[in-house]
Amino acid sequence: MATSLLEAPARPSTVEWALMSDELSERRRLFHDQALPLMDQLYGAAMRMTRNPADAADLVQETFVKAFAAFGQFEQGTNIKAWLYRILTNTYINIYRKKQRDPYQGTIDELEDWQLGGAESATTTVTRSAEAEAIDRMPSSAVKDALQSIPEDFRLAVYLADVEGFAYQEIADIMKTPVGTVMSRLHRGRRLLRELLADYARERGMTASTIPASTARKGTT
Amino acid sequence: MTDCGCDKAKAELEEFLHNELSAAECADIREHLANCDDCSAEHLVGLTLSSKVKEACQETAPDDLKAMIVARLS
Repeated sequence: MATSLLEAPARPSTVEWALMSDELSERRRLFHDQALPLMDQLYGAAMRMTRNPADAADLVQETFVKAFAAFGQFEQGTNIKAWLYRILTNTYINIYRKKQRDPYQGTIDELEDWQLGGAESATTTVTRSAEAEAIDRMPSSAVKDALQSIPEDFRLAVYLADVEGFAYQEIADIMKTPVGTVMSRLHRGRRLLRELLADYARERGMTASTIPASTARKGTT
Repeated sequence: MTDCGCDKAKAELEEFLHNELSAAECADIREHLANCDDCSAEHLVGLTLSSKVKEACQETAPDDLKAMIVARLS
């Protein structure tokens, strides 16, 4: 990552420093108390975005520096986690999407399901309870790999909803999209994930009870 | 109350899972789930998927990153 990313923000003059020192130290204290404890979570999100530890560390650092510079505008009492995630997401989009243009960028929401790959038929060949059991026994690495392989916008929507527990409206604010788009990304992301995990389970023979879908549907469990 | 049926339940399961439905809508879905094995199994898959994703994504920021950020903010 280029060092230019990590340049210090513009600093106030000496006079301003003196005038603002009390306010600044109070702001710093609040920031330490409220924002820094969320570092692990932001790092987790950054890992899902950048997919590698070095870029994730740079992204988190840049996010905290920007957040601290803008902390005066943060309205105390509102959701600091959502506020930090907005900065993280903006920073990510500004830095990384410029760097590596995603060929799907801007069109992923318009792709038809068949263009995204996977098929519903894959998951309907086992009973749902067997599917739940297989997912439950899945190693974390397999879940992470599956998550890493789905389109970025879907991955982020799933992350924000399922890992961070943000409400759909909060995700819409963070991703700057309408709530309907969030719901669609979430639904399609989760569906792809489920299909990938079903493939994983099938490849490793984790789905013991393979019953045709028609039978499974009527099954009494 | 009448059962909301599988179509409505299936369509709203994801919102139900993410706590996006009103109390009345939640009650409808819950009532349906109590009587429908197929939909409750589908719901279980959704719940399991959510909890596995959450579990897999837990990360701890490296100590040197924490130290660097603290240093840059002081």
